[in-house]
Amino acid sequence: MGRRILAIARKEARQLLRDPVYLGLAFVVPLMLLVLLGYQLSLDVKGLLVAVVDRDRSPWSRQYVDGFVHSDYFRLVARLDTEAEAREWIRTGRARVVIDIPPDFGRRLSANERVAIGITVDGSFPSRGEIALGYVETVSTLYNQALLRAWLAEHGRRTLQVWPVETDVVIWYNPTLESKNFIVPGMLVIVLMIFPPLLSALLIVRERESGTIFNLYCSPARRWDILAGKALPYVAVSFLDYLAIFAISLGLFQVRFVGSAWVLSAGALLYSMATVGLGLLISVLTRTQLAAVMATFLVAVAPAFAFSGIFTPIAGQTLAGRIIGRLMPATYFMEIVRGSYLKGPEAAAYGPTFAGLATYAVAVYALAWLALRKRVG
Amino acid sequence: MIARLRAMVRKEFSQLLRDVPMLLILAWAFTGAVYVNSQRMSSELQNYPVVVLDLAGSPSSRELVARFRAPYFKVVGYAAGDDELVRMLDTGAASLAIVVPPDFERRARDSTARLQVISDGSQSMIATIAGAHVASIANGYSVELLERRWAGAVGLRRTGIPQVETRTRVEYNPNLVNTWFSALLEVLNQTTMATMLLSAAAMVREREYGTIEHLLVSPLRPVELLAAKIVPVVTLVPLAALASVLVMVHGLFGTPIRGSLVLFYAVTVVHVFAMASLGLGIAVLARNLGQAIMMLLLILYPMQILSGAFTPPESQGAFMRTVGQLSPLRHYVDFGYQVLFKGNGLAYVWQDVAGILALGLALFTLSVRRFARLVR
Repeated sequence: MGRRILAIARKEARQLLRDPVYLGLAFVVPLMLLVLLGYQLSLDVKGLLVAVVDRDRSPWSRQYVDGFVHSDYFRLVARLDTEAEAREWIRTGRARVVIDIPPDFGRRLSANERVAIGITVDGSFPSRGEIALGYVETVSTLYNQALLRAWLAEHGRRTLQVWPVETDVVIWYNPTLESKNFIVPGMLVIVLMIFPPLLSALLIVRERESGTIFNLYCSPARRWDILAGKALPYVAVSFLDYLAIFAISLGLFQVRFVGSAWVLSAGALLYSMATVGLGLLISVLTRTQLAAVMATFLVAVAPAFAFSGIFTPIAGQTLAGRIIGRLMPATYFMEIVRGSYLKGPEAAAYGPTFAGLATYAVAVYALAWLALRKRVG
Repeated sequence: MIARLRAMVRKEFSQLLRDVPMLLILAWAFTGAVYVNSQRMSSELQNYPVVVLDLAGSPSSRELVARFRAPYFKVVGYAAGDDELVRMLDTGAASLAIVVPPDFERRARDSTARLQVISDGSQSMIATIAGAHVASIANGYSVELLERRWAGAVGLRRTGIPQVETRTRVEYNPNLVNTWFSALLEVLNQTTMATMLLSAAAMVREREYGTIEHLLVSPLRPVELLAAKIVPVVTLVPLAALASVLVMVHGLFGTPIRGSLVLFYAVTVVHVFAMASLGLGIAVLARNLGQAIMMLLLILYPMQILSGAFTPPESQGAFMRTVGQLSPLRHYVDFGYQVLFKGNGLAYVWQDVAGILALGLALFTLSVRRFARLVR
C-alpha cells in the first residue's frame, strides 16, 4: 500500500515540477500578496475626510476642532457654512464626517452647561461609519476630560474633590498595538487557505477532463492510495509555503513571536492537510476544472477573509457568523497562529483547537473517499 | 463578418450552458454565497467580549460594569480569580478584562478609585477602538460621580459640569446595518470574480483541449474571436448581478435601492466587458487553467484590497491611490454604492463610468494584440 501511494505521489510531484511557471506562481503569488499587504497597504482607517460647520467661531469651538486637526485619524478638508452644503459633501464622498457646532457652543460651556454637537456620518460603508463614530468619541472624550480637569481645578479645591475613577489600561499580547503583528500572521492563515485548495482542486478533475482518469480506474491503486498519493506533494508544497512565510514574518517583518515553532509547525502541517483535502474533495465532486475552481473560490477563498476572525474576535460575532466561522479550518488555525506569535505557548497548544482542526482534516478526506468512485457511470 | 461572429457566439453559448454543474455553482455565487458572505465578521466594535473580575462586589462597581453593554460590549463571563481571567483571554473567549479592586466603593465615594483594564492587543485595530470606548465610559461615570458628590456638598454655589455631548446621525444607513453593505459588496465581487474566471476558462480550455488550432486556422479574426468569447459572459453575468441585487440585496436583506437600476445594469455590462477582457488577456498568457488561476489571483487580490471597500482610499498612500485608479473594480465599487445606496445619478458618477469604460477598452485592445501575436 505504501508503495502505491509513493508511486502516485512521485507522478504528481514530477508533473508539478515539469510546469515551473505554475509551481513558481504557486510560491510567488502568496509571497507577493504577503509583502504587498504587510508593507504597501495600510489596513488602518486613517485620514478620514472631515468637514466642519462651525457656527460658533469661539476659542472653545476652535479648541474642539483642533482635536480633529491634530489627530492622525482625521483630515480636515473643509470649513463649511451651511448644513445643506455639508450634506452635498457627504453625498459626493468628499467628506465622510461632518461636525456641526451650534452657535451657543462656547457660551454654554463657559456657563458650565452641557452642549450638544451634531455629528453626521456617511453610513454607506457601515464599518467605516462605525469606526468614524468611535474616533469622534475619542476626540470628544479627550476634550471632555480637559473640560473636567479645568473645572476640577477651579471648583474642586474648595470641596477637596479629586478625579473619581481612573482607568489603568494594560495591553497584553501586542503591547505596542502594531497592526503588522496581527496582519502578517493573519495573512499566513489566509494565504494557506487560498492557494493549497486551489492547487489540489484541479488534481482529480483534470484527469477526468483529459481522460487519464481511466489509467487510475484500472490501476491496482485503491481509493485511499489515490487520495493520499495525490495529496502528499501538495501538502509538501503548502508546508514549504508556510516555512517561507514564517521566515519572512520573523526576518523581514520582525513580528513578535513568543510561542513554540514546533507547535506552530504541527498546526501548519495539520492545516495544510485539511486545506489540500478540501481541494481534493471539491475535485472529486466536480466534472470540469472551471467548476472546481469556482467552487473552491466560493467555499474556501472568499470566506477566508470574512470568517477567520482576522480583524475581530470571533466570540463577539452573531450566532450565524460563529457557526460559519467554526466550519472553517482557518478559524482554528488562526487561534494557533495568534497563540504562537502573540499570546504564548499555553494559548497556542490549546487542546480543543487542535482537535477541531484534526476533525476537519479527517472529515474532508473521509468525504472524498466516499465520493470517489472507481467505476464509470 | 456578422455570420462568422454569430456562429462562434452560438458555439460559446452552448458550451457555457451545457456545463450544468458550473451553472449551478454560478447560481450559488449570486445567491447562497451572497448570503453567507453577508454574514461576514464585521470589523467594527460589536459585542466585544468582556470578562469581569469584580473584587469589590459593591453597588458602584456593578453600576460601572453595567455600562459595558450592547452594542459595543458584551460581558461574556465573571471570572472567579486571576487564573480564569487569564485563560479566557488566552483562548480568545474574551478580548477585554475589567478588574475592579476591593476598595473601589470607598474610594469612588471620596477619593480616586482605580479600575484595571486588560486589553487583548493582538487585533490592534479593534483594540484601539475598544480602548476609546472604555475611556469614554470611565469619563462619563466620573462626571456622574462628581455631580453626585457636588449635589451632596452643602453651602456652595451650585454649578453644572461643562461637557460636550455628541448627537450622531448616520446618512443612508441610519442603524449601520452591516448586511446592507456586505450583501451588495458581495454581488459586486462575485460579478468581478465570475466574469474573470468564465472568460479566462473559455480561452484556456481551447488550449488544453488543443481546439485552439481549429480556431487559429478558421477565418475568424482575433478581434472577432475574443468578442465571441466575451459575449456570453456579458449577457449572462450582468443579468445575474441584477437579479441578485433585486432578490438578495433588496428582497432578502431589505436594503433600500435609491438609485436607477437601469444605470446600474448598463454600467455592470461595461464593467463585465472590462473584466472579461482582463480574463482573456490572462488566458492568452497561460498554458493551462492552473497557471491562469494563479495569474488571476495575482491581479484579483490587490484589486479587491484597493477597491476601497476594505479601507477608504484616503487612508492609502498617494502611490497606492494612483494604482487603485487603474483598477476597474475601484470605480465599480464606488459607482455601485453611489448609485444604489445614495441614489446619485450619472452627474455624480460619470467619472467612475468613464474610468471603467476607458480601462475596459484598453484591456480589450491589449488582449486582442496579445492574441494576434499568438496567431502569427
